[in-house]
Amino acid sequence: MIVYSKIELSNSALKDEAQSLHKAGFISKEQCDYFSKDLVIPKTNSNLLVRALFSILGVFLYSSICGFFALTAMDNLDNYYAYLIFFYAIIGFAGAEILARSKFFGHGLDDAFILGSQLILAIAIGIATNGNDLVIVAMLTATALLSYLRYLHLSMALLFCLALTAILIFGIFELDTSIHPFLPFMMMLFALAIYLSSVTVIKNLVIPFYHNGFVLTKNFALILFYLSGNYLVVRELSIELLGQEVPAGSDIPYAFFFYAFTFVVPASYMVFALLKKDRILLWIGLLSLFFSVYTIRFYYSVIPIEFALSIGGAVLFAITLLAIKKLKNNQTGITFQPDRFTKTNAFLNAEILISTQMGGLKPTVTTESPMEFGGGDFSGGGSGGSF
Amino acid sequence: MNRFEEQSTKDLFDKNILTESQYIQIKAYRKLGIFSLHNELKLFLYLAVLSFTTGIGILIYQNIDTIGHVAILTLLLVVTLVCYYFSFKNSTGFRREETSFENPIYDYLILAAVLLTCIFIGYLQFQYTTFGTHYGLATLIPSGIALFCAYYFDNKSILSIAITGIAAYIGLTVSPQALLNNDLYNSNTLSYSAIGLGGVLILWAMYSNQINLKKHFTLVYLTFGLHLISISCLNNLFQPYWFVFLMILAASLYYFYNASYQFQAVSLFIFSILYAYIAANIVIIKIITAINIGELIIPFFFVVPVYFVGSIIIFIKLIKQFNQQKIQ
Repeated sequence: MIVYSKIELSNSALKDEAQSLHKAGFISKEQCDYFSKDLVIPKTNSNLLVRALFSILGVFLYSSICGFFALTAMDNLDNYYAYLIFFYAIIGFAGAEILARSKFFGHGLDDAFILGSQLILAIAIGIATNGNDLVIVAMLTATALLSYLRYLHLSMALLFCLALTAILIFGIFELDTSIHPFLPFMMMLFALAIYLSSVTVIKNLVIPFYHNGFVLTKNFALILFYLSGNYLVVRELSIELLGQEVPAGSDIPYAFFFYAFTFVVPASYMVFALLKKDRILLWIGLLSLFFSVYTIRFYYSVIPIEFALSIGGAVLFAITLLAIKKLKNNQTGITFQPDRFTKTNAFLNAEILISTQMGGLKPTVTTESPMEFGGGDFSGGGSGGSF
Repeated sequence: MNRFEEQSTKDLFDKNILTESQYIQIKAYRKLGIFSLHNELKLFLYLAVLSFTTGIGILIYQNIDTIGHVAILTLLLVVTLVCYYFSFKNSTGFRREETSFENPIYDYLILAAVLLTCIFIGYLQFQYTTFGTHYGLATLIPSGIALFCAYYFDNKSILSIAITGIAAYIGLTVSPQALLNNDLYNSNTLSYSAIGLGGVLILWAMYSNQINLKKHFTLVYLTFGLHLISISCLNNLFQPYWFVFLMILAASLYYFYNASYQFQAVSLFIFSILYAYIAANIVIIKIITAINIGELIIPFFFVVPVYFVGSIIIFIKLIKQFNQQKIQ
């Protein structure tokens, strides 16, 4: 099923391992280079910037080919334009196949074709079926799964998960209205089912190539589980999709359960992450906790934003200081000491970029306005709401 | 850590890439089960500093007329001074080469101090017009302090704040968002000063490289220089004297292209070829509109896919060349 040569994929994994061992300081650069020099591996761009550049070029190429065919078929376009769009999707699949066979794997060019073909296919089916959601997502689920199994692109695994979830949601809407209020619980069960099955598969996986895909599915299930019980999501979606009304002073059914869920789940995610030493789970836990705080602030603004930010910042600083003090000298397990195997620190660059945005000084534009700082507008003012 | 990585290590050992002692070392290290929260905790510190200073900023902005000015100023000054005090106390002092605090907490403490200084001076100017009508001073002084702190404490985030401050002094907004929205300049003269500032940044980066002063700052200066010069030149390509700016752009991109090799900086490399590609396309479009193809519009569409394939091949070659040089 996999289009790439298995030997080359394992070579690529070995090369990554050698490089990470070199970065961790276990082997010398000579050892690493000597090993990687003559290794046959697929054409990959590990640098995200390069990959993004090539995917933009890939999009240009794809759309120019499509434009070319549109021009040749211009005369008959009125009657058959749905066929033309299906044809574009076929071009995309063909392009993806050709690139994959020429050993482009995660290069950027192939990303454009693989993602683009799925998108255009969805549009084409939408036109052909007059926008039948269920048919679109059902087709996408199948094509995304096949594309993932063949090209091993994680984006396809993600698309598969999203489309599968969408099938469930649209499917439930097709059913009787009495079932609709149970949507959150069904989503939870669904997430649990994906989680359990992907964990079982990961445990029994023999070949390594699909490992990342299942890790992604597992984490997708965790996020879905949290979101399906989050108070904000449940409340807003039941107003939006189910037409439920929440009069002032009253609350949604089972509100207490959803409030508890909103905070218990992130907390337990973080505890499990620390116990199981799972970094991705830790991040999911943290982000969902932030979202939970946002959820509460969305309905009850307990204190004004400026106090929340200042006090929250000070408290966070203090807690982090304590944590650092406690973990500083741990030699095993959870520690503040940098791991030799940690991947490159992307945060540092992001920090510089954000500082430039947040702390950056702006030129003196108005000199007379009474509500403007004389020498430019400083970090706080403009960024309040969105932070 | 998954079992497939462990398998890869074993494969490397089986292929005689790892020596036995190395293999044992690696296995022993992995057995420690280290779960480092280093980056996460540092990120928390950063978030804490940002939200604290943002909160204070909003607080002052909203209550500027109600709470006592002296009270606010005193409180701000005390907090700022405390931050400075601890940072100076724990710093290793100024060195020409790269230095760092023993404990990364102070990197964030000094960042907080600099951000609070900016707020403090802004407030001072607004309320008491300390600098009178010399509004520029109110941006220049925080920038000066930031520049000093950046060099003294060796902090790139603060350095970038200082550079934005200097840019603000000559009237430019160089935050990433402004770059994205392309609202960098509202007049031609400003874009000339942007090119000038870019040039000065490059010269300073070259000079400090020569005298071994904080060599690792070079990349920050060059990144600012590259974007300032390229974007203002590209904007000027649509103005009457476009040919002059094309020449300036070509010369500076040539410099940045070489610099990216010299400093092994992928981001400089990518952006210089990207800007060059955009400029080349603008020039091609200018030529096409000048010769007024009209009748040839259909064949033109036939050529476009070929043109993109050609440019992709050139890009692949350039990047291959860059990566090869990196290995050596």
